[in-house]
Amino acid sequence: MLENIITMATQAVNDLSHRLRRRSIEAPLWERLAFYLTLAVVGFVSVFPFYWMGVTSLVDETWLYQTTPQAIPALADLSLENYWTLFGSETVPFVQYFLNSLFIGTVSAALGLSFAIFGAYSFARLEYPGRWIFSRGVLVNYMFAGILLVIPIFQILVTLDLVNNRLGIIVTHFIFVIPLGLYLLGNYFRSVPREIEEAGLMDGYSRLEVIARITIPMSKPAIVATYMYAFLLSWNEYLYASVILRDQGLYTLPIGIEQLQYAFQNVWGDVMAASVVTTIPVLFIFLYLQRYLVEGLSFGNMD
Amino acid sequence: MLTSIQQWITRWSIFDREYTIKQKEMLLGYALILPSVLLVAASLVYPVAYNIYLSFTEVPLDPRESPEWVGLANYEALLNDPEFWEAVQNTLVFTFFSDVGATALGLGVALLFRKNFRGDGIMRGLVLLPYIAPLIAIAFTWRWLLQPTYGLVPHILQDVLGVYSGTNIRQTMGMVILFDTWRYFPFAFLLILARVRSIPTELYEAAKIDGAGRFAQFKDITLPELKFVLAAVFLLRWIWNFNVFTDVWLFVGNNVPILGTFVYVKGFNTIPPNQGFAAAVANLMVIGLFVMVIGYVRYFMDW
Repeated sequence: MLENIITMATQAVNDLSHRLRRRSIEAPLWERLAFYLTLAVVGFVSVFPFYWMGVTSLVDETWLYQTTPQAIPALADLSLENYWTLFGSETVPFVQYFLNSLFIGTVSAALGLSFAIFGAYSFARLEYPGRWIFSRGVLVNYMFAGILLVIPIFQILVTLDLVNNRLGIIVTHFIFVIPLGLYLLGNYFRSVPREIEEAGLMDGYSRLEVIARITIPMSKPAIVATYMYAFLLSWNEYLYASVILRDQGLYTLPIGIEQLQYAFQNVWGDVMAASVVTTIPVLFIFLYLQRYLVEGLSFGNMD
Repeated sequence: MLTSIQQWITRWSIFDREYTIKQKEMLLGYALILPSVLLVAASLVYPVAYNIYLSFTEVPLDPRESPEWVGLANYEALLNDPEFWEAVQNTLVFTFFSDVGATALGLGVALLFRKNFRGDGIMRGLVLLPYIAPLIAIAFTWRWLLQPTYGLVPHILQDVLGVYSGTNIRQTMGMVILFDTWRYFPFAFLLILARVRSIPTELYEAAKIDGAGRFAQFKDITLPELKFVLAAVFLLRWIWNFNVFTDVWLFVGNNVPILGTFVYVKGFNTIPPNQGFAAAVANLMVIGLFVMVIGYVRYFMDW
């Protein structure tokens, strides 16, 4: 009985002192205000260009080129004119650019991953002398950005007659995707518990069957995420597309949008609408990718 | 005939011999990684070697002719070219300041997210927008925001704040650095955030009870805990900034010449293009980068 009272009393004292300490640690009002204010500024700076991109794409020209620019359009100023120009007009083959980008991205990501899956599995799981070279060597890619190799790769493509050719850009992108796939999938396969695969081996599966029947199905979400990063790499790539593709009909979105801006005067509405159309698929992809953000984004992007 | 072929296959085929499981796994490991390695070598090792060769030649316009050996002529011309030295200087200034900017801003924003607050998930997504959006879209949005006659920013600077001088502020080194800082601070933010959140809160509470102020906490707890991630982020951003091409090219074209755009202009945008010369620039960039990275790793990261 006495013991109970003592424990209860000590607990109450502990509680109280804990609460007092909490209060002294909690930030005062002005500090919280400053915190939310800073946060608001950061949010505004990050988002405002996107707001402006959207607004510009949705208004007509007279609003855009007035002598004193406004920040917020009236409802009456909104129009879909710019989007009609992009999708309906004969002069700008924007739909063609979009389809080109979609096709090149889809194919080169798929090709790249079909190689990278096995390569990544190999150095993540199988033991052999020299495998560390492959897992570390992936990082050497960081050093060789596109611009350092654009001359020799262009010359090689010239020799192979792959310039101004869809195949040329697919080959280039698909090879660039491989290191990304090796890096992301290698990290992932290492985190898959060995025991499940070993159980498969015990049941008489060969190693290849284990990969095909156990590892790949189990890793589907990670493979899809890697595929999407690979796709984005191709979707955003500018440098190689700009030197390889010459005919307007072959242009990908980055090249097409750039041409749009240089070809005509004061087409900001159209250019911003094109930018919106290019950005939206990327945002949807990232909604899916939330869980893989740190790994994927830390690989960096190719230019 | 058939039997002899079969014998020949048995003699040479690695799979028919008696191997231990371990050896089989080794062979499979090599077999699975080989395609990836060959392709990456074809796109990395061979081009690097070919680039060295090309830099000693004059690359003809007609792809059917082979490059003409000119020895060190390209390097001599390069070292006597004031444009090259201007690009070197610009690249170093750009690399340093945009690296410091992105890392510092990323650190600041990551510290805001140290504790959970209402809506932190959405806020994190918004902060990442500059980094995940396609470069072409944001480069043109910034161009439009900064457009001298109709752009929003010059209007605010000139008509509202009265500080604008009338030149094109987009085409300045300062604006390129700002643009790059804005685009890449989320990268630093994301990597630093993971570490920031793993610093035990008890450290701060103990420091607070001992009477340590904000600054002392930052200097004695936060910075030492983040030392390695900051050093790694700074290094990665250094490599990418030094090799940057697309960001600067799409934002200001050749108005702020850096090494990346210098290679591109000499190799593809001059008439006639001088690809041997451009290859020489790229080689010097590789060497310079390697020296800087090795120096950095040895002196700052105690590896």
